[in-house]
Amino acid sequence: MKSSHATLAAPFPELTLRITETLARLRLAGEVTVGGSPKRAVWSCGKTTLYHYLPLPTARRTPPGSRPLLICFALVNRPYVLDLHPDRSLVRRLLEAGLSVYLIDWGNPDEADRQVDLEQYIERHLGGSVRHILERHHSDALDLLGVCQGGVLGLCYAALHPQHVANLITVTTPVDFHTSDNLLAKWVRGFDTALIGASGNVPGELLNGLFLALMPFRLAQQKYVRLLTSNPDQRAIEDFLRMEKWIFDSPPQAAAALAQFVRWFYQENRLVQGTLELAGRPVRLADVRAPVLNLFALEDHIVPPAAAAALRQHVGSRDYREYAVATGHIGMYVSRAAHAEVPGRIIRWLRQHR
Amino acid sequence: METSIPSGGFRPDVPVGEAAARFFELLKTLGAAATGTAPDWSSLAAPLATQFEQWLRLSQSAGPWFAPAAGAARAVPAAGFAPAAWSFASLPLAAAATPASESQRALELFGRLGQLQAQLAAHWSEVANTASQRFVARVASIAAAPGTVDQALKLYELWVSCAEEAYAATVHRSDFSRLQADIANTTAALLLEQRRYAETLARAFGVPTRSEVDALNAELRELRRELTAGRPSAARETTAAPEAPVEPRDASAVKSRTHAAHRPKRRPPKRPARPSGSRARVRRPRR
Repeated sequence: MKSSHATLAAPFPELTLRITETLARLRLAGEVTVGGSPKRAVWSCGKTTLYHYLPLPTARRTPPGSRPLLICFALVNRPYVLDLHPDRSLVRRLLEAGLSVYLIDWGNPDEADRQVDLEQYIERHLGGSVRHILERHHSDALDLLGVCQGGVLGLCYAALHPQHVANLITVTTPVDFHTSDNLLAKWVRGFDTALIGASGNVPGELLNGLFLALMPFRLAQQKYVRLLTSNPDQRAIEDFLRMEKWIFDSPPQAAAALAQFVRWFYQENRLVQGTLELAGRPVRLADVRAPVLNLFALEDHIVPPAAAAALRQHVGSRDYREYAVATGHIGMYVSRAAHAEVPGRIIRWLRQHR
Repeated sequence: METSIPSGGFRPDVPVGEAAARFFELLKTLGAAATGTAPDWSSLAAPLATQFEQWLRLSQSAGPWFAPAAGAARAVPAAGFAPAAWSFASLPLAAAATPASESQRALELFGRLGQLQAQLAAHWSEVANTASQRFVARVASIAAAPGTVDQALKLYELWVSCAEEAYAATVHRSDFSRLQADIANTTAALLLEQRRYAETLARAFGVPTRSEVDALNAELRELRRELTAGRPSAARETTAAPEAPVEPRDASAVKSRTHAAHRPKRRPPKRPARPSGSRARVRRPRR
């Protein structure tokens, strides 16, 4: 197939050359590194590890009155996308601002974790991380930044333990799972969650395939053709490789937690309905009274903007701000445009809420 | 401190190379339609539809859980995302050791999966035909074949838009969503059948089964709750989860305790008899 490129594109020899060269450079490209900001594991629970990022020597002095910031990422992806490269790193920007940044890495659940459910993730893993940080800092509350599904977990935690969350930031976080443009919700509406939960952990590749299937031609064809035809420089190729690694490096999902997430949120929309319970306690968004900054992407195909913006109507906080960025779901973490806007907005908002 | 990413099997040049091949194939098709002075775009509809349908079938794009099923249509990861995941191990589902009813059930599920696959193929066919018709309708106004790289790329972008629009029109429909759910549920049911069979084998060899390990896990969890609450579960009101971090990590703790549960029980050594009248008290561990 590859040997016939020249024949197929005979009318466009320049294009053939461009594509062939880029393909050759991709094949020759070495391993790329991600997550370059120095960090230290400070606590663990099950497969979950809590990391503390070391302060940057060049960082501003920690602003007086600032609290530790805990980043809670989604269970379905790796959190290193937030620290992909020094030039595209939300973590680094937060560190430069002098913040004390913690990150939860959920790790790789295996068969021993198939019964780990959302209550455990939220109360033991996320809650344990919060308690550890609060003890370390002799503090009563921290700032919580939840990303995507991690934002849902963060909202649940903030509703159950409002005393521990001083400020809440949600990034591309679905709240209303039944908006008309939510394709993922439509697809999983008829899933038998009991059956899926019983059949064991779900491989990350499978979920990844599901996400790509939402827009297959754009995500699995067009983006590659665009790369090949754009005369990318070495830097662009490395950025592309980092993103590809991240996209295809999805962790397996603990069966119980995934089944609950699909059922409670995607199928029954409990967060919005006010019918969610964890550990026997109601989880009500109205109980989230901390100041909230809600950031979402206008071209998000996984979390439609309306699904994220719904937080406005349901959250109990009187200090609610939202901000929409003209980018897609993944672009929100790594695109040049988002990187120019999002970290600065978070830092400024946190400064205003010390 | 950088995160090392397991690179096993990750070959970004593969999906990119395949996308390039498909792109060139498309250019070739466009070029064939555009020979001569007046391009005959209508002749594109059939070959474009065929190419797109083939790609959809190969990539299993909207049914990733379907790929492993039955081996009836083992997916080629054409687009780089058809996963060989959630796959069935090489255990024979209809083996002699399985009760006849279980074998029958597995065969029925395989049959059902085949039917669902046929329905999915019908959807792909519809998507491909709609996409190519949209494309032909939109390029009808273009008088000449693409003469420059930019023109060719614009034509490609138009094709992508038509393909995605046609795809979205189908996959947002409720009948398609139901089909997706049926495929996922049937695949999960098959997986469960296979695990039942594996449990039958495990019992035959005296090996702990998944259900037994799960039961131990549940027991551990309950014990952990009781420890946290400081009182027996029967009297305990539901409260927030345990406070203390688990050191060593939970998984290893679960494993070691699980192993312990399967070790042959030993009687505790007999305590030497205390002399009568001794005031020594036996300290009991606090709960």
